[in-house]
Amino acid sequence: MNLNTLAWRNLWRHKRRTLITASSIAFGVLLAVTFTGAGDYFYTRMIDAGANMGMGHITLAAPDFNRAPSSKKVLKDTDSLLAQVEQIPEVKDVMARIQGQAMFASAHKSIGGMFFGVDPEQENPESNLFIKAMIEGGMPKSASDKTIVLGVDLARKLKLTMGKKVVYTTTDINGDIVSAIARVGGLFQTGSNEIDSAVALLPIQSVQQVLGYQQNEVSVLAVILHDQRHSHQLRDRMQAMSQFSHIEVLNWQQTQPDLAGMIAVDKSSNYISQLLIALLVAAGILNTMLMSVLERKREFGVMMALGMSPRNLFLLVMLESFWLAVLGLIIGTIVTIPWYLFMSQTGIDLSAAYGDGFSFGGVLLDTVFKIRLFKESIIAILVGLFTLALCAGAYPAWRAGQTPPVESLKTI
Amino acid sequence: MNFAKLAARNVYRNSRRSVVTIAAMAFACAMMIVFSALMEGVIAGSERNVVAMNTGDIQIHQQDYRDDPDIYKMITSSAELSNAIRQIGFVASERLFAFGLMASDNSSSGVQLRGVDLSYESTVTEIHQHIMQGTWLEQTDPHGVVIGKKLARLLDVSLGDELIFVGQTADGYMANDSFNVRGILKSVAAGIDNSAVLMSNSMLRELISLPEQGAHQIVIMRVDKKQALSQASELIKSLVGQDLEVMNWRQLMPVISRFLETAHVQTLIMLLFTYIAVASIVLNAMLMSVFERIHEFGIMKAIGVRPLQIVSLVYAETIIQTLLASIVGLFLGTALAWYLQLYGLDMTSLADGMSFAGVALDPIWYAELSINSVLTPIAFLFVMSAIAVIYPATKVARLSPLEAIHHQ
Repeated sequence: MNLNTLAWRNLWRHKRRTLITASSIAFGVLLAVTFTGAGDYFYTRMIDAGANMGMGHITLAAPDFNRAPSSKKVLKDTDSLLAQVEQIPEVKDVMARIQGQAMFASAHKSIGGMFFGVDPEQENPESNLFIKAMIEGGMPKSASDKTIVLGVDLARKLKLTMGKKVVYTTTDINGDIVSAIARVGGLFQTGSNEIDSAVALLPIQSVQQVLGYQQNEVSVLAVILHDQRHSHQLRDRMQAMSQFSHIEVLNWQQTQPDLAGMIAVDKSSNYISQLLIALLVAAGILNTMLMSVLERKREFGVMMALGMSPRNLFLLVMLESFWLAVLGLIIGTIVTIPWYLFMSQTGIDLSAAYGDGFSFGGVLLDTVFKIRLFKESIIAILVGLFTLALCAGAYPAWRAGQTPPVESLKTI
Repeated sequence: MNFAKLAARNVYRNSRRSVVTIAAMAFACAMMIVFSALMEGVIAGSERNVVAMNTGDIQIHQQDYRDDPDIYKMITSSAELSNAIRQIGFVASERLFAFGLMASDNSSSGVQLRGVDLSYESTVTEIHQHIMQGTWLEQTDPHGVVIGKKLARLLDVSLGDELIFVGQTADGYMANDSFNVRGILKSVAAGIDNSAVLMSNSMLRELISLPEQGAHQIVIMRVDKKQALSQASELIKSLVGQDLEVMNWRQLMPVISRFLETAHVQTLIMLLFTYIAVASIVLNAMLMSVFERIHEFGIMKAIGVRPLQIVSLVYAETIIQTLLASIVGLFLGTALAWYLQLYGLDMTSLADGMSFAGVALDPIWYAELSINSVLTPIAFLFVMSAIAVIYPATKVARLSPLEAIHHQ
């Protein structure tokens, strides 16, 4: 008789016990899919949203700009840099921007904040959160317009409405304080007060004029990738290229350390929770298999007496654990698929519990809880499941292989 | 023979199975104690970062100051009001705010100037101890300012560096003065980290020509932490006029408050998930133990043991195992949580900075043991294992004695 068939039949000798253990494995699969899927979905959303807030997944900047940003640190020759970045297949979009700190003043009062000098022709809602969040007006008509786009809370504090004048004051390329006037041409509302009360967009050529930059000079190139997971490896690759050796190539972890920190911590607590549940599921498998081996002592003795090698007995019990895991996986898949479909398409709306203005590491958080699994994560869950089942089955299987034939035949 | 003794012997009979079951329960229980203590510590820590570093328990402003922070909207008789508040058993301090541009050699940034009352601020908040580099403000050094962590990076300044302020005075002239960096704060909250410049009240009054009297904000802290926040607000409200707004920190920061209130739900969800896994182990172990004794239960029934007594026996066996598990779990969990309460869980290797809803989280997480964080996991363990054995217990209680005796 084939060992596999024997193992499969052995499992069904205690239907109830097998089903309960398999269900606990299925529960483990469901939780692993939910936890990992929530992570995969949520981190990607956060990272993409963070990237769309100005700096991109990868940022090209003048040396030392990231440590201490200043208008003196200029990225030169941007046209050729732009063209070179566009060649890279992972890159979805690349935009030249000027990032800086400024004081915005209305007739009423003045408030500090930050600005992005953007080229309306390069920008699109896909890679710019602020365009997506526009509630009134729109982006400047051209790169040399004298218009400004403000966050709603910033506009409200300055008591500004569409068409009103704003004076912004900042430091130019020489370190001198300079001011310029712009009219409000648009208002955006991302939902996070931190952002809506501090950010403004300006047409890039007007900013270049004010700061004393040349046509070809900006402070950063924001690179948006098709898949955020490439950012780390692509950063290293780009930094090593000779055409980028004179500038700094940064990934989002470096430009948004708060977000990276939150994600790292959340990720590790997610893994720890999963590990904890995995260990408990493994303990369940261990207990079931151990009991099933101990109660079959006599049977194993007979099998050995009939000429089965200890190695084959060990294999038999390992196969039982394996098929138990397969069974758990089948039940788990049946349970998980409808849940996954629901969670990946509809999700659970938590806005009733949390309201809608929530930031996570400085990035606005989604209030709809959804899950999405990367292919890699599915493989990781499968590998984890079988490793777990086989590890938990190893001790009982070893016990089975140790059965001394004569003594065990004497026991009843 | 009494039930407890019988149950104890039954547990001991298959000691290996019992040990695995108890170990799994104890492990889960210990982990959950650590987890809930850690969660409680993080919640307390974030609340502390919000309240003790910045907002205080209660704040008073002019009616619409928060909507539209205008330097002219002052609480005119703030000194008298603060004194009156102190007399009814609170601590209070006045603050002034103004906006402007701060420039260093390399860079400039819009800033929020925060004028604090040096003799009282330290009685209300702990921000004077929250310095990363340098020292707190000193009356004798009016031009030495303390600035936010990210602002220091934006301006590229370090201790002793010069800063130039440009802004507008209350009477419409140009305000202009130079300062030097005396201290840099640790991370507090996005608003403070990015743009706060702290100086003494008197320096700020002089800088932007504010009147000698009055403040934009009075920050109040309860001395008796047990006093309810709403009750404290009512007490303060009775002192102030209609033109002023009294808000406690939960009203001032509703998002964070709601998050902290719902954070324990996360602990409960985690508890539930973990214990479902535990319950399946208990269920399986008890089911096995019951089914291999069907013959024995048949005999018990035949000699007159009632179904309810058999249910009690199965429950007694479960309770003994759960009890042992919770004792082990309690010791292990409390010991580990205690260690984390003293030394903390260092996350600095994972993250340089963390922030949630604009509030900075300390990268070292300290657990906080409380009756709640210890008892909830244990109580849950008992409930879950009691639910898990309903099936095996009722199964044997309904056995027919004759069939059971013949069962192999």
